[in-house]
Amino acid sequence: MAVPVPWACCAVLAAATAIVYAQRHSPQEAPHVQYERLGSDVTLPCGTANWDAAVTWRVNGTDLAPDLLNGSQLVLRGLELGHSGLYACFHRDSWHPRHQVLLHVGLPPREPVLSCRSNTYPKGFYCSWHLPAPTYIPNTFNVTALHGSKVMVCEKDPALKNRCHIRYIHLFSTIKYKVSISVSNALGHNATAITFDEFTIVKPDPPENVVAQPVTSNPRRLEVTWQTPSTWPDPESFPLKFFLRYRPLILDQWQHVELSDGTTHTITDAYPGKEYIIQVAAKDNDIGTWSDWSVAAHATPWTEEPRHLTTEAQAPETTTSTTNSLVPPSTTKICDPMELSSGAGPSAPFSIRVPVTLALAAAAATASSFLI
Amino acid sequence: MLPAAREPAAGDSWGIIACLCTVLWHLPAVPALNRTGDPGPGPSIQKTYDLTRYLEHQLRTLAGTYLNYLGPPFNEPDFNPPRLGAETLPRATVNLEVWRSLNDKLRLTQNYEAYSHLLCHLRGLNRQAAAAELRRSLAHFCTSLQGLLGSIAGVMAALGYPLPQPLPGAEPAWAPGPAHSDFLQKMDDFWLLKELQTWLWRSAKDFNRLKKKMQPPAAAVTLHLEAHGF
Repeated sequence: MAVPVPWACCAVLAAATAIVYAQRHSPQEAPHVQYERLGSDVTLPCGTANWDAAVTWRVNGTDLAPDLLNGSQLVLRGLELGHSGLYACFHRDSWHPRHQVLLHVGLPPREPVLSCRSNTYPKGFYCSWHLPAPTYIPNTFNVTALHGSKVMVCEKDPALKNRCHIRYIHLFSTIKYKVSISVSNALGHNATAITFDEFTIVKPDPPENVVAQPVTSNPRRLEVTWQTPSTWPDPESFPLKFFLRYRPLILDQWQHVELSDGTTHTITDAYPGKEYIIQVAAKDNDIGTWSDWSVAAHATPWTEEPRHLTTEAQAPETTTSTTNSLVPPSTTKICDPMELSSGAGPSAPFSIRVPVTLALAAAAATASSFLI
Repeated sequence: MLPAAREPAAGDSWGIIACLCTVLWHLPAVPALNRTGDPGPGPSIQKTYDLTRYLEHQLRTLAGTYLNYLGPPFNEPDFNPPRLGAETLPRATVNLEVWRSLNDKLRLTQNYEAYSHLLCHLRGLNRQAAAAELRRSLAHFCTSLQGLLGSIAGVMAALGYPLPQPLPGAEPAWAPGPAHSDFLQKMDDFWLLKELQTWLWRSAKDFNRLKKKMQPPAAAVTLHLEAHGF
């Protein structure tokens, strides 16, 4: 007798396939995002599953040991940064996650560090901030600026995300500015504020294009030129003064020169033949503070090229290099009886000896003229 | 423009100040009249600029001492009160574009009037309780400020601008009103010093701007002087 098995079988099979298909292709619920504090303990329930349901937990696809489970809940103690990840719980023998948690381990924000500076006086100033320690999770910052009771707009910097700009509308104000910042993330909140006068935050950018060059025929001079920083909008009405410092590389002691105007200066007391490092800083003539030091310029004063003896063979002396390490001490080129008697050494600065020898020669000449 | 300081303070001191103020209006004109054969405004603009720097430096010390005399909270660096009262003080604050586009006459006039007012108020500071040292410093500063006024007047005269005069018949009626409370008086003193400091910073910029504008003629004049010197 033929049992109507095929029909029932087909029906069950079709139903089963439909259920499996539905389970496989149903849209998965988006993982629940959760933020937890570093060092704390957290218990993750497996969605709406009963406490005694048989589940397995996986993190980023890797099975987790069952000893971390409390029933169907996952218990994590002493959270570390490495605990961040996608946690999913599955019914035993199922590969379809019942519940997913995207866990982020981080910290609440500490008090932010805020500072403001005007390098574009009188156009405006900018404020920048940062957190003294990382939070490892996203933070949002909110900056507000007040001038007395008037709210000012702090425009976000197009390039830097922790900076905003405020434009001066009024100059020479006796009322202080107050800039406040609040930072918050999923784990906490913090804030700080600073108050200042218009004049105290003025600090230009360092001078640009500092160039130092030797001066021909002057072994003790170096000519330094620079430009006012391009960010300073109005050097005519708001002139800058400059501070120059220089030293030979071999010494630690800087020499300083303050210059009230002009963008050039000639150093006249350089040690001959020594490489110098030179830097310039700028400041508004009347208000604010000095800029940082500029990028350093290096230069060595002019030294005379070595004179070649005429008895030298016809060896092609095409390279007349003026690198100072190759230049022999200039004192040896002239056979000056006066110099020999005064015991001139190669390390002695030639320029100091010359007046002495000239003076002696002059004295000898006048003495001899008297004798006649 | 009249220094109409209608502050509700008691006593004859305001009458004296009114008298002093009237005198001060006319006093700086005298040295200006004696200037014949002026070499031009250049050197005196430089001198005025230098004076503002000197005064600003002097004020720093004086303000510190005076605020300590007033006591807390006035001498606290974070003290940031709202600007209430002190309505008669000349304010240095000005719109950036307006400041830039001031003509020379207006620029000089604003400076002159400001310092005249400020000097008036400064002389009226209650110095009874202050130490002798502080009184001396204040007096010295007033003298220096007087010098600055004279210098500005000299520049105005050299450029042919008239000195601002008080409006005729507009003398304030110095009716003694209710006494300012001690705290409010101190607040007025605080704002006076603050405004003075800000004006000196502004004047440095004002006179530097004038100096730059006058530069070509001034350079020619100084060259001329140097030739004579040697």
